[in-house]
Amino acid sequence: MIAGRGRQRIRPPRRGLHGDDLDFDSTWVSIEAAFREIHTKNASRLSYEELYRHAYRIVLKKRGDELYKNVYEFEKNWLASEVRGSIDQLLSPNLLANVQNVGGTTANERRVSGEKFLKGLKQAWGDHQVCMSMLADVLMYMDRVYCQDHRRPSIYTAAMFLFRNEILQSNISETDERDVLGLLNHVILEQIQMERDGDIIDKHLIKSCVHMLDGLHADDLESDDQRLYNVSFEREYLDTSRIFYRTEAEALLRDSDAGAYCGHARSRIHEEEDRCRSTLLDSTTKKIQNVVEAELIQNRIHELVEMESGVRFMIDNDRRVELNLIYDLNARVDENKSEVTRAIQRRLVEMGTAINSDAIAASQATSTSAQEKNLNQQTVAAIKWVEDVLVLKDKFDRIWRESFNSDNLLQTAITRSFADFINSPTFPRSSEYISLFIDENMKKGIKGKTEAEIDLVLEKAITLLRYVQDKDLFERYYKKHLCRRLLMNKSISNEVEKQMISKMKIELGNNFTAKLEAMFKDMAISEELTSGYKRYVEGLGDRDPKRIELSINVLTSLTWPMETIGGTGEDDASKRPQCNFPASVEKIKRGFELYYNEKHSGRTLTWLPNMGTADVKAVFPRVPQKDGSLKERRHELNVSTYAMVILLLFNELPVEQSLSFNEIQAQTNIPHNDLVRNLQSLAVAPKTRILRKEPMSKDVKPDDQFFFNEGFKGNFVKIKVGVVSNGNKVESDRERRETEKKNDDSRNFCIEAAVVRIMKQRKELSHQNLMTETLSQLAAQFKPDVHMIKKRLESLIEREYLERVEGAESYRYLA
Amino acid sequence: MDVKRKHEIEAALASEAQAVSSGRLKEDSPLDTSVAFLDFCEACRRGDLKAAQELLQAGVNVNARDQHDYTPLILASLCGHYEVIQLLLENGALCERDTFQGERALYNALNDRIRNLLLSYDYAKSTNPLQPLAAHVSSLLTRPEPKTADITITAYDQSFRLHKFLLAARSPYFAKKLAEAPNTASWKLPHAIPAEALRVALQYLYFSEVSLRNVLHGLSDDEELVVLNGVDKIGRQLEMERMFEDITEVSDRRLLRQKRAEELVRGRDQLELWFRDNVLKNKMIVDTDQVDGIRWDRDNSIFADVLLRADDDDGAKSTIYGVHKAMLLRSEYFLTMFNSPFREAQDARYLHVVNLDCTPQVLETILTFIYTERSDFGLDIAVDVLFAADQLFIEKLKQRAALIISSLGNGSTSTVEAENPRGETDAEEAIDVYEIIRAGWDTRVQRLEEFCARYIAYRLEHYIDEAEFAELVQESAKRVTARQETDTVELIDDIRWYLSERFRLRFEDTHFDEMMDENPKADREALADAVKDLDISDKTAGAVRTLDGEIAGDEFAQDAINYQILLGKIDALLENLGLDA
Repeated sequence: MIAGRGRQRIRPPRRGLHGDDLDFDSTWVSIEAAFREIHTKNASRLSYEELYRHAYRIVLKKRGDELYKNVYEFEKNWLASEVRGSIDQLLSPNLLANVQNVGGTTANERRVSGEKFLKGLKQAWGDHQVCMSMLADVLMYMDRVYCQDHRRPSIYTAAMFLFRNEILQSNISETDERDVLGLLNHVILEQIQMERDGDIIDKHLIKSCVHMLDGLHADDLESDDQRLYNVSFEREYLDTSRIFYRTEAEALLRDSDAGAYCGHARSRIHEEEDRCRSTLLDSTTKKIQNVVEAELIQNRIHELVEMESGVRFMIDNDRRVELNLIYDLNARVDENKSEVTRAIQRRLVEMGTAINSDAIAASQATSTSAQEKNLNQQTVAAIKWVEDVLVLKDKFDRIWRESFNSDNLLQTAITRSFADFINSPTFPRSSEYISLFIDENMKKGIKGKTEAEIDLVLEKAITLLRYVQDKDLFERYYKKHLCRRLLMNKSISNEVEKQMISKMKIELGNNFTAKLEAMFKDMAISEELTSGYKRYVEGLGDRDPKRIELSINVLTSLTWPMETIGGTGEDDASKRPQCNFPASVEKIKRGFELYYNEKHSGRTLTWLPNMGTADVKAVFPRVPQKDGSLKERRHELNVSTYAMVILLLFNELPVEQSLSFNEIQAQTNIPHNDLVRNLQSLAVAPKTRILRKEPMSKDVKPDDQFFFNEGFKGNFVKIKVGVVSNGNKVESDRERRETEKKNDDSRNFCIEAAVVRIMKQRKELSHQNLMTETLSQLAAQFKPDVHMIKKRLESLIEREYLERVEGAESYRYLA
Repeated sequence: MDVKRKHEIEAALASEAQAVSSGRLKEDSPLDTSVAFLDFCEACRRGDLKAAQELLQAGVNVNARDQHDYTPLILASLCGHYEVIQLLLENGALCERDTFQGERALYNALNDRIRNLLLSYDYAKSTNPLQPLAAHVSSLLTRPEPKTADITITAYDQSFRLHKFLLAARSPYFAKKLAEAPNTASWKLPHAIPAEALRVALQYLYFSEVSLRNVLHGLSDDEELVVLNGVDKIGRQLEMERMFEDITEVSDRRLLRQKRAEELVRGRDQLELWFRDNVLKNKMIVDTDQVDGIRWDRDNSIFADVLLRADDDDGAKSTIYGVHKAMLLRSEYFLTMFNSPFREAQDARYLHVVNLDCTPQVLETILTFIYTERSDFGLDIAVDVLFAADQLFIEKLKQRAALIISSLGNGSTSTVEAENPRGETDAEEAIDVYEIIRAGWDTRVQRLEEFCARYIAYRLEHYIDEAEFAELVQESAKRVTARQETDTVELIDDIRWYLSERFRLRFEDTHFDEMMDENPKADREALADAVKDLDISDKTAGAVRTLDGEIAGDEFAQDAINYQILLGKIDALLENLGLDA
């Protein structure tokens, strides 16, 4: 095989490939004839091989440029004469009239002539593409060799340019200088306008024309940003849309309410989106949306929100669907939704402030009536306030959920607004009111409720608590109220109390609830003590029929709010006059002290008779009954410890003798205030008038005389003698001032503790940093006043915990 | 650069040797001590393109090794013959990273240019030489347009549009069946065989790389069993015994590659056999004036669906080949033709005759390439094949033709410069270099232009004064201006480069450059003057003379002066042509 090839020579290439026997003109004539056939859709008779061979030879003969030019010219002529001619026939006067905005044609006529024009153009474009791809097939060799070598656009591309030049950019007529492209844009825009007005148009047809524009470029480089669609049509489309929507927005704002406006705007946006998908190109979606959003929303949102039927109206009337619409619209143009947020916050604070002032008004409305009533009134006001706030909260929660898609930003805004009005400086009672609300529920509200319902109530209270800034103030009130509930056994369910505590623990932390829990612990221990003591007494020996039963609560003094217990506060606990108990009671008291000291040595028990109650069996002399018989009447009187002491005085008194106020006080050593109140309840209150007072009046004076009321009539065997001003009520102004003072004192300690903690760790710190750190440490408990911190700093420096660093705004810790 | 460490290579080598000795792996580079192979190695060592090309065509194993464990590629790489390396790689020489022989070729590469060439042919990027053919045949299974299928096979609920000639070539069973009933248009498989199994078998039959693991992926055990049984059954029915084994075993990459390569060669051989027995044997030679009367029915025994016609040089006889569109689609020309709405793509009662502008011999070469990927033709038709391949857009064949021209075109003169330092040539040249370079330009094959520039540079003495050479330079200059606005004449640049290469080879060690610089400018002008009245004819004397007839002191001096003379002549030529380069 190799041997045979050793001396091979290359033969000269054959048959005219390199000869000069090419007759360009006649070859071109046959090519041109074939092209005509192609354009008139007779291609199936033509031989590809033959046409290709012609073109191939011409290119090989280096006459590619002539071929290219000829094809180009041919195509140009064809477009200019044949295709342009057919387009001309579509340019009915009707159509042209539109462009000049001459009226007198009906919408239907315009649509028909427009569609005809579009159809014709689409047809011409489709034909052109098909023909040119066939030409490109035949001229493949020219494209690959000549065009690439000479950096010419492929014949197909060139032909597309031709279509643009000869058809789209040609004048409508000799006298009319607008070009076909402008007309096309106009017709499409007009069709779209018809659709906006509610007509049905041929979307598919328009889409084809749009594709044509997208396939053609304004320049000859086919750069992406030069598509005719973008540079010509889209621009005009956006402009006309802008004008359209601007006018529409004006009309709508004038003629309809905010809700309808929002609904309309939304449907317009969707409509445009659909239009881009079905009629135009997806790439326009974003742009047209920007236009619609700018015109219908951005520029109008403020007006819209502030409209009479705007956000405020929607909130007040619970138009949640409309709120959702307006939220949605705002979200489209502003990710912070600031307009809607602002409106919502404003309205919320307004409503909250209204609730606040209602509560204040309610609490003051009846200031003319009796003190007791007044206090009740305030409690009612407190509960109403809490409930109103909760209703408000529910309302906004619902709006937030249903209208604002649970948007986090708005939740923050709403929370802030709630905190704003709840902690408003003009309304200092929120902590107390919330505590009272819980108190009320613990005592009465939860009776007969299921666990789930109770949980809901507790949860509501916690929700409100979250908004409160001065948690320490709340703690103080809660402790006070809880203390009363526990000692007076007012609480319906211990379980629920504990549940509440654990909820607060989750919300506010261990520190907050530690003391509250200790109170519960004391109660539990006391129960054990009581029963232990009872066993102890029984073990002592024979049962004494006259023995007095003792139920005792031993309270740790620091845990419990002493001001509530001691009446006057712990500072004068030692000075507090010891009440003189009757001998029998005194004996028990001693007995218990003995018992207690055996168990816990070194502890001092302080007796608080003002907090106790006693059951006393009383026998009243015979009085005639209805049936005429005489009958001794026995009553079991449930009275306060003090009252018990007072009553026992009368045991030893002969009938019809009296004791004066001063005598009673001297014998019992009961504090003046308590004595007055107890005597009032025993001698003044009409249902429990066990004593008789002379003279009969409401006030108790030092020289009043008291008798045992033998003629007392009671309808029940058991009678409870209440003591005036018992139970949890809204504080009087004096009490509040006191509470606040106490609160400030304990805050002072907190602040000092925080400062010392920080400084111990940092040793030296600038004033600014110290302030920030202190504030952040205390944030969980309350919001301290800067002025207060400064005072504490002064005090700490005085006491040489800190010193000022010379020449700098900073402090040093002194160990 | 990721280079394996020595111990890693040794470990790989040991495991490879084990695999080979246990028969799991076929050796990539078997020992070959035949004379032909040793000649081949020698050619690679010396950089003799022509000899290497001829031996390759004679079928020497390009990946064998000699008794010193050298493969031809390592030798060529070591000795720095860029063109030879290219030739070897194009003919399937393996250069795979992570193999012993592959790494050796890389280690030994004389320079970075060669190293980069080798790396670019790493197995991961290059392909089996038969891969283009395989890829085309595989694509026929899924190609929707144009329609080329002529039989529908249905299994269960799926039907496959297939090609009878491929079925007959690949499966003895189909060959028999179709021979009995060539008109069969559809065939139904028994229901027992699942469509999945048939699909696998057909993919295999159509040269796709099939992995049973992929096919079975996601099937339950039962389904798996059914498919496996089906594949086995089909394999036996179609008498493709190796199929089941070939697609089931998937182990390491090299084993997979070897199996694949074997299967491709076997498949190609089947296709080639069928092609020769049917297409070539059924060609019709008729008088050209009667060729229009030829009618082939759509149903014919070789399943042809189009006829190709080529006329003899003298135009008296025409040869007609019945061929298959499915294969012709490998040419972009035919692809466009059969996709177009023109006559050739229309269905007609009789097969269309497509005229091709070449001799039957060239057409047969093209068809052989299209059907079998073979391209071992002689220099005599190489230029014709080049043009035809260009016209039909068969890029690969074009490159092959150019390769053949540039490797065989030096005639009996060795391309090894050392053996012909003085530019002496045979009286009879194998090629017309003007023709070749123009063909290279016309068909845009850079390789030919380079080849010719080198060819001329090494024989510049013969061409520099010919009028046609001046014409050629002018043409080259024109090509340049047409492409871009620069002042270089590509051909002259190339020639100068090769000329310097030709002389520098011998001057490199003797600081020729410095010597050149020392030459006073006046001397050069004097030389140029001397060139003008140069007369080569008196270079017949036995003494050592320079080109201008002066007697040079020794051969070294002769070369130096000759180089100057030739450069001067080029300048003069350019000046005459009014070119500034």
